[in-house]
Amino acid sequence: MRALFVVVLLAAALSAQTADFGKAYSFAERRPKTRVEVAIDRVLPSIVKVHGASGLATINAYATGIVVSTRGHILTLDQIMIQKGRTRVVLYDGSVHDALLLPGDAELGVRLLKIDPSEVQGELQPLWPPEPERAAFRTGQFVVSVGNSFRLAEFSEKVSATFGVVVGRANTALRYRMADVDYDGDLILTDACNNPGQFGGGLFTLDGTWIGLNLRLLDSKETNTMLSAAIPTRDLLPYLDEYVLGKRRQQPVVEKTPAWTGVVLFEQAGRQSPPAYVERVRPDSPAAKLGLRPDDLIVRLDDYSVRSCVEFRDVLARFSAGQTIKVTWKRGTRVLDGDLLLAEEPR
Amino acid sequence: MRSSGVGGAVILLAAISANAQRPVDPDEFLHLEPVLQRAIATAAPFVVTIETFGGTRRTLGADGPVDGDGPPRPRPAPKAKPEPAPDGEPQPDAPKPDDAPDEKPKPKLPLVPEGFQQTRGRTTGVVLTSDGWILVSRFALNFDPTTVLVVVPGRGTFHAERAGEDTSRGIALVKIDAEGLPVATFVPPDEVRVGQWAFALGRTFAADEPTVHIGIVSAKNRLFGRALQIDAYTSPANYGGAVVDVHGRVLGIAVPLSPSGRNAGVEWYDSGIGFAVTIADIRDLLARMQQGHVLQRGWLGVQLELAHLGPGAKIAGTPKDGAAARAHLRKGDVIVAVDGVEVQNGPHFQMLVSSRLGGDRVTLTVLKKGAGERLTLPPIELLDTPWSEQAQDKSADLPASFPLPEKQEGR
Repeated sequence: MRALFVVVLLAAALSAQTADFGKAYSFAERRPKTRVEVAIDRVLPSIVKVHGASGLATINAYATGIVVSTRGHILTLDQIMIQKGRTRVVLYDGSVHDALLLPGDAELGVRLLKIDPSEVQGELQPLWPPEPERAAFRTGQFVVSVGNSFRLAEFSEKVSATFGVVVGRANTALRYRMADVDYDGDLILTDACNNPGQFGGGLFTLDGTWIGLNLRLLDSKETNTMLSAAIPTRDLLPYLDEYVLGKRRQQPVVEKTPAWTGVVLFEQAGRQSPPAYVERVRPDSPAAKLGLRPDDLIVRLDDYSVRSCVEFRDVLARFSAGQTIKVTWKRGTRVLDGDLLLAEEPR
Repeated sequence: MRSSGVGGAVILLAAISANAQRPVDPDEFLHLEPVLQRAIATAAPFVVTIETFGGTRRTLGADGPVDGDGPPRPRPAPKAKPEPAPDGEPQPDAPKPDDAPDEKPKPKLPLVPEGFQQTRGRTTGVVLTSDGWILVSRFALNFDPTTVLVVVPGRGTFHAERAGEDTSRGIALVKIDAEGLPVATFVPPDEVRVGQWAFALGRTFAADEPTVHIGIVSAKNRLFGRALQIDAYTSPANYGGAVVDVHGRVLGIAVPLSPSGRNAGVEWYDSGIGFAVTIADIRDLLARMQQGHVLQRGWLGVQLELAHLGPGAKIAGTPKDGAAARAHLRKGDVIVAVDGVEVQNGPHFQMLVSSRLGGDRVTLTVLKKGAGERLTLPPIELLDTPWSEQAQDKSADLPASFPLPEKQEGR
């Protein structure tokens, strides 16, 4: 009696599996229960697997992408595996499509792919980016990260969803020594891990709002630790507007002239750059007008920490003559700050 | 057999019906989200950023002290062994055995901490008093920086003077010249429950917003009563930060404290094993640290005979500079009580003395070798643990990994 019961159970389980496996099941068949399930179900049809070229053993030739229009636009992280004529997209239903490459955005480090919508069965289900204020995120928010971790999903198998929280916001200035990020703006940090393959996937709130595009696992030079991060969706909107909606962007042309403060730092020869102590201040220079003096220790330019003479030059190179920046310095036991108008170096 | 099966079925049915009476809301865990955000909002004001400048002190690496700040040195590449050809066919890429220069044993490279190397990123601190005492992780001061700055959210940047530290707990105190700072509330460790939520806050990536990692209290009384163990991620990005409960009260301070003490103790970062040093129970130590005292793990200086399974702990040797040697303890003596507590065996003895700091006194009762009577010695003052002892792997000192005596032949 018991044995028969087990057999029936087993058969039921098997039939359920075979019914599911290999078939592009329709979305309506599932009955999600929890909010996390609802969120995952809502976004999954818009997540695609991206396969590309790689001649290098260290580079994975797979990633994730997000459908952003019914006309076949797919957003993914731009990377070396995305190559002309060698990039394919696998949709939610398992269908494979050759992808054209649209111009990428070097500052964001993202690229749009385009597939032929007439070859798609049914309608593409784009996750059109939400309104900027809806795509806001906050520390401690619950999120789901969706992507093809380690290429675990093939054909119509669904990509992986991982649960986590928003760890915090990584301010541009406080993270600028992070490796492997083209993007220069604030990032969302999360503990939903960005395994290889997860990048190009999305970070979603539990109501299915798309708040970020997953990056690779980042190596923080600040702390020597690994971090999972995402580019906020709202920062992607200008790029998407231009290439999906055809709205031309006004790209401000910024001409950079090397900035000069008039500070001469106390630099020793040696293998390690010392802290940025002021040795001399050129008369009539911006630094002299601000009141910097010899033996002051410069600790910050705007929000950028300056822990050594090398970092002082690195950070200063990010600014241009004519810009006003906030300088923070230590004199004795006092910490002072003031605005400094960067100038061009006099000849 | 049959009756037990029926009994099991009855119990199962009872369980199912009990479940049916109390329907489970699968979304119930979502209530944690607002709780978490309230806890962050409560704790954020007293979580501050620590920045350090300068300093050259050598820090502890895998192979003893290394300069933590040099240029990156090469790591030994893993030797790629050519796969043996399956059936004797010569492989085109395999080096021929005749001209293989790698045969000579290479001199071992004088390297280099494997894995983690500390950099000079920001760390986190917690406001202890409204007049500017700040708790920081000892990790932040590993380089012996010449300048320490504290960034208090909404209040600006302050110069900090270093005060004392407790190297056995991995914490230090600095003082800034400020008033009316928002102060942390600390939870006494005996009120902490294993399994309760623990949120690890840091403030290293944005000045106006803390970072958070969530987890639970995994265990209490770790490292001889000094720390809670948590499974929220801890790393250099939140060392020194507050580990708070659902009310935003501080359970402890996140520090790198892996027991071996190598690599500045961070080798378990992000592993699901983190430590939060409890604060509410060490007010007296904090007072000593405020006066500038450097507290270290106490050192008695006895090696135990592992084959002796008790009662008592049998001494295998006493290093000559140790407190035990000065108290004339010798090989073969058996320690039978510590401060009146009967010693059951070696690990028990470790537990009884390892919570002490240098300068603490212990009263030992011993059975001198060859003598039949118990002798209670005058109190022994523990020394600070010498560098050579700290540098070596301490895992063997831990009760949990106390090695069992090897089986002897013929027993």
